[in-house]
Amino acid sequence: MTEIIQRYGPDLLTGFGYTILSWALGTLLGLVLGFMIEIARRFGPAFLRYPIRAYVEFVRGTPFLVQLFVLYYGGPLIGLRLDALPAGILGLTIYGSAYFTEILRAGFDAVPVGQVEAARAIGFRNTTIITRIMVPVMMVSALPALVNFAIILTKETVILSMITVPEIMFQTQTMMSETFAFVAPILILALFFWGFVELISRFGRRLERRFTHYLLDRS
Amino acid sequence: MTSQTAASAHLRNVNKFYGPFQALKDVSLDIPPGKVTCLIGPSGSGKSTLLRCINVLELYDSGEVRIDDQLIGYDSPGGKVMAANRLREMRREIGMVFQQFNLWPHMTALQNVAEGLERVRGLKRPEAQARAREALAKVGLADKEDNHPSHLSGGQQQRVAIARAIAMEPRIMLFDEPTSALDPELVGEVLGVMKQLAAEGMTMVVVTHEMGFAAHVADRVVFMERGEIVATGSPRDVFNNPTDPRLASFLQGYRERNSLDF
Ligand SMILES: Nc1ncnc2c1ncn2[C@@H]1O[C@H](COP(=O)(O)OP(=O)(O)O)[C@@H](O)[C@H]1O
Ligand SMILES: [Mg+2]
Repeated sequence: MTEIIQRYGPDLLTGFGYTILSWALGTLLGLVLGFMIEIARRFGPAFLRYPIRAYVEFVRGTPFLVQLFVLYYGGPLIGLRLDALPAGILGLTIYGSAYFTEILRAGFDAVPVGQVEAARAIGFRNTTIITRIMVPVMMVSALPALVNFAIILTKETVILSMITVPEIMFQTQTMMSETFAFVAPILILALFFWGFVELISRFGRRLERRFTHYLLDRS
Repeated sequence: MTSQTAASAHLRNVNKFYGPFQALKDVSLDIPPGKVTCLIGPSGSGKSTLLRCINVLELYDSGEVRIDDQLIGYDSPGGKVMAANRLREMRREIGMVFQQFNLWPHMTALQNVAEGLERVRGLKRPEAQARAREALAKVGLADKEDNHPSHLSGGQQQRVAIARAIAMEPRIMLFDEPTSALDPELVGEVLGVMKQLAAEGMTMVVVTHEMGFAAHVADRVVFMERGEIVATGSPRDVFNNPTDPRLASFLQGYRERNSLDF
């Protein structure tokens, strides 16, 4: 075991790095894209609604692996030639955005209309209403779901191995095929994800406390 | 704090539809400056709709609504819908207080009041907070500035909401059933603040079921039914000599429910 780890240690570290990088960028960009889509759907012109719905339904209705293949192998057919890593990150971004946008939609819906009207009556502009009122208010209900989906995305990153992104799944598979060892690579994989997810959920709980501090009894 | 002159408001033949349903039928009403106008009437008669047409939280379909002599909602009578930035400018003159308070739950009382001063009036934070403190002091809540709404009673929340509105130095204030969501013992503190505002010469339009308040504080009482203004007059005229049979039966019903006289 120690021998294997010595031999594959650097590769494993590289794998961890790629997994974390693609998860972080995919999640962040997915969240940003999902937010923009929801703002467009909610405040944008009516003709955007149908294409947005189609986009969300398509992304949610097909397996991530299929989307990734379409992007990586189908992309070049329409002139979109991406390396594996950017393709993987873009894939995660698109995949995440469809789910994030739905979570945010429910969040926006849950903001009491009166709180928005109060802001309009005072003369706030829409951007201020969104950033100062709607987003902080809806985070109370939306944040657990957002964090939950960010956690789901950690595990979707293993699919990037299918398009040769050298992330942790890719590395452990290489390790398995070269050494015929089975237990150690799987164990390493499991431990890594366990720690990774634990870290994210801790961070999520801290964020939740930040957004809900006013609900706690402290005055 | 009401340093600017009180504004008047004028509705001319205002119509408002919700789909096929007509919520306001050719409503005309002059709201005099510096006076208290109370809107009464049965539930669903269009009182809130009328109030919300004054600051265009609801856009009326036809007619004219003016603040002083300035049209609000449209560029010109029957013309294009007013540009958003122009509407925002006009809304700065109009304060509104809601039945459900509608404070922002993630902000303290002070932040609720200061937010508009910072974001709409463009004041620097220390200046905004200083003025917010003045407004909170005025409604008797100087000691509650750090409380979030969830840690204030209904009456205190509504007083913060009033402070939030008056801090913007509006020239007219709209109240939509400001005490209807309150426990009876908390109604007095809110009405007290409103009386004080009235005494300072604020133009106030108050939708209310508090007939006692209407009788004692209003300069004019407007009775609505089914989207129309049915009767208008001094509190004495409306409450003591109701000539319109619908008004008389509304008041009769109210007296029976509350078994009291005013
Ligand atoms: N957003 C809306 N959509 C459809 N109908 C509405 C809407 N708002 C109010 N109405 C209807 O318009 C009428 C007047 O409502 P409202 O002005 O709230 O009455 P009031 O404040 O006197 O109780 C009611 O019949 C109500 O059902
Ligand atoms: Mg109403």
